[in-house]
Amino acid sequence: MSGRGAEGSPRLESAAAATAFQKEWFLGLADRAREGEPIALANADAPHEVLRALGIPYVVNQWWSSIISAKRAGPASLAAVAERGLPDDSRQYDVLPLGAQGLAAEIAPWGGLPEPRFAIAERSGDVTHKIFEQWGRRPGTETFLLSRTAAVPAPAGWWDRVANDWEDIFGAARIVLLEGEIRMLAATLAHRVGRTLDLEQLAEIMALANEQAEWNRRTRDLLAAARPLPVAVTDIIPAVMVPQWHRGTPWAVAAARRLHDEVARRIDDGHAVFPGERRRLMWIGRGLWSDLEMYRSFQEEFGAVFVWSMYLAIAADGYARYGDDPVRTLAARFVGLTDLLYVPPMSSSWYVKEALAHGADGVVHLVADDTPAPGVITAALEERGIPVLEIRASNADPRATVGVRQKIADFVRERVPAAR
Amino acid sequence: MTPRTPVIGVVGNDAPRQLLLAFGARPVRLTGSWSGVVDPEAQQLLGATDAAVARLLTELRRGAHPLDGLIVCNDSQAHLRLFYVLRATGSEMPVHLLDMPREPSSPARRFALFQLEALAAFCAGVTGAELSAASLAAAADAEAALGDAVRRLRARRRAHPPLCAGADAVDALLDAARMAPAEAVARLDAALTPAVSGATRVHATGSSHPDATFYRLLEADGRVVVVSDDHDTGDAAWLGEAVRGETTDDVLDALIDAHFARIATSATALSSDRAMLTRDVARAADADAVAAIIRELDEAPLWDLADQRDALEGTPFVSVRVEPGGEQDSARDLQRDLAERRVSA
Repeated sequence: MSGRGAEGSPRLESAAAATAFQKEWFLGLADRAREGEPIALANADAPHEVLRALGIPYVVNQWWSSIISAKRAGPASLAAVAERGLPDDSRQYDVLPLGAQGLAAEIAPWGGLPEPRFAIAERSGDVTHKIFEQWGRRPGTETFLLSRTAAVPAPAGWWDRVANDWEDIFGAARIVLLEGEIRMLAATLAHRVGRTLDLEQLAEIMALANEQAEWNRRTRDLLAAARPLPVAVTDIIPAVMVPQWHRGTPWAVAAARRLHDEVARRIDDGHAVFPGERRRLMWIGRGLWSDLEMYRSFQEEFGAVFVWSMYLAIAADGYARYGDDPVRTLAARFVGLTDLLYVPPMSSSWYVKEALAHGADGVVHLVADDTPAPGVITAALEERGIPVLEIRASNADPRATVGVRQKIADFVRERVPAAR
Repeated sequence: MTPRTPVIGVVGNDAPRQLLLAFGARPVRLTGSWSGVVDPEAQQLLGATDAAVARLLTELRRGAHPLDGLIVCNDSQAHLRLFYVLRATGSEMPVHLLDMPREPSSPARRFALFQLEALAAFCAGVTGAELSAASLAAAADAEAALGDAVRRLRARRRAHPPLCAGADAVDALLDAARMAPAEAVARLDAALTPAVSGATRVHATGSSHPDATFYRLLEADGRVVVVSDDHDTGDAAWLGEAVRGETTDDVLDALIDAHFARIATSATALSSDRAMLTRDVARAADADAVAAIIRELDEAPLWDLADQRDALEGTPFVSVRVEPGGEQDSARDLQRDLAERRVSA
């Protein structure tokens, strides 16, 4: 069953399949965890592949946060954070899962996340280490923190080189630090679960992840060239991100290929998300999980479709890493992944490249409190004649996104002329 | 003719001053301010950032600080953003990021050494000088003398009654962080305030203070005196830290030890460590109460409050969030909260 989107367009089968798979996977994982199997909670930019190689199932903090938001459990989760004397207006996207642990099973999404045995994060920003410090105080949970070095160097135009020339792009010293920490983490985890890290298996996982990234790159290239937009961005996001969290598995490679083939078919069939497409919008920043309908709400009045989100684009350009040593190559995947999205000129040059490739007429830039130097990204786009609306809000806090639709409508009306 | 001393600006609290001094440079700590103009373009470039840092960027873009070079420490997101913006907007001044890791593992120590070597190379480029064991030893002597003066100031603040008010201490510490060591010693030793008797002795935690404005407001009516603090422009400023070694490598190694031995600023430390530091310093200063003063958008200290409250059980603990332009109201709220807790000297 593919279902139908709100505007009558059939939902992408890849998206429906990925979403169904993910729920089934999660429920199975939760059952196993409740029976005693150790699981991990890992931040999005932690080296998941080492967990996979050790056979430790993991749930990604930000993915779980998106589910909590989408299931409208965000406010209750933030209230639970506040009850612990912690701030409920700081890093909401990262802290929702911590708060949701305090919800009763009957109101927690999908019955709730069983207590993880391990919580793993990089020391990103001013607060991530403190959030994960809280996780480490929960009974039975042990926290591991990895270093998060700054983006020095940060070359523009990295996307054609990063898969192979990663040492030049990110700097050898940074990679060596993370490589060393990953080796220490792997040794400790292996000891805890009584297994050993098989480097050949890790290399196979890395190869599968690269294969997945190559399919995502082809899919992104198809969508960039397609006019009109053949697939809704709200379908693309789950179809890319669910496999992303299963990165390094044959299922994820097959899912990425399936998405590619389905997008190609839609283009061949001349499918349009909105036949009256007159304006193409780009959404920079995290997804607005609590209001996904928003992405479709400017079609009728303005002929405006969102053609781009970072999720497919970074999956296409940001993840592939080729190298002989799988641990070092894994470190190269994560050492600066977030920098590609947020640190200028890496970020700004990439957004400009993507905007031009996708024919974006305007950009909505959701700026969270932890977005560094957002003004540089905005300025780079505006300098290329692409109008930008900055919205300062946390995507995970419904209190902060009130009025977003009206702001976007005003922006489109006043600054984004119909291009076709 | 005496050669001009190169001036290197320092943003943040991770730069080992001894290293800069050994290159013949004068480190000048830059902090922004509690109040003052924020250039809208600077704010736009930085995004949601602590206003003190937005003011600092405003000052730097206007050329308010004549510097030969600038070191920015990656010890908070606000500082890191400042560096990213300066780099992206093509700052004319040489700018260097010092990115010290936080956990003393072997890989982290190697990275720390790489960072200090890169810092030394930057200083060499700015000053044209070379590092030697002799210059490091001379810098250690100068910095150690400053450390002694810092300890004397700390003792005066903690005396009964205090011999130096918190505002004057912060003023002196910030001045000292911008002066040549000998002048800095004299400046610190001159920080004496007429005895404040009967005031509530307060330990301040939370955000760093870019200047003494807030302390001055808090202490204005004489009911409160800030006798200690654990933010990085007060007692926790990395000022007067000197290490010794036979060779340059030995000194760098000792500086790495000193870096990891500190409990650093809230943005890089665990809440449990920050809470223990707050408790220990407040007790050592015989504080009657602890006040967490947190600037809006400086979110790390907010995450420490729960642990600090637990660690300080039995000691009155109050907190206030300070909006830009709201310093006066916040100081008044804090005074009221302290009074409501019936905190007495």
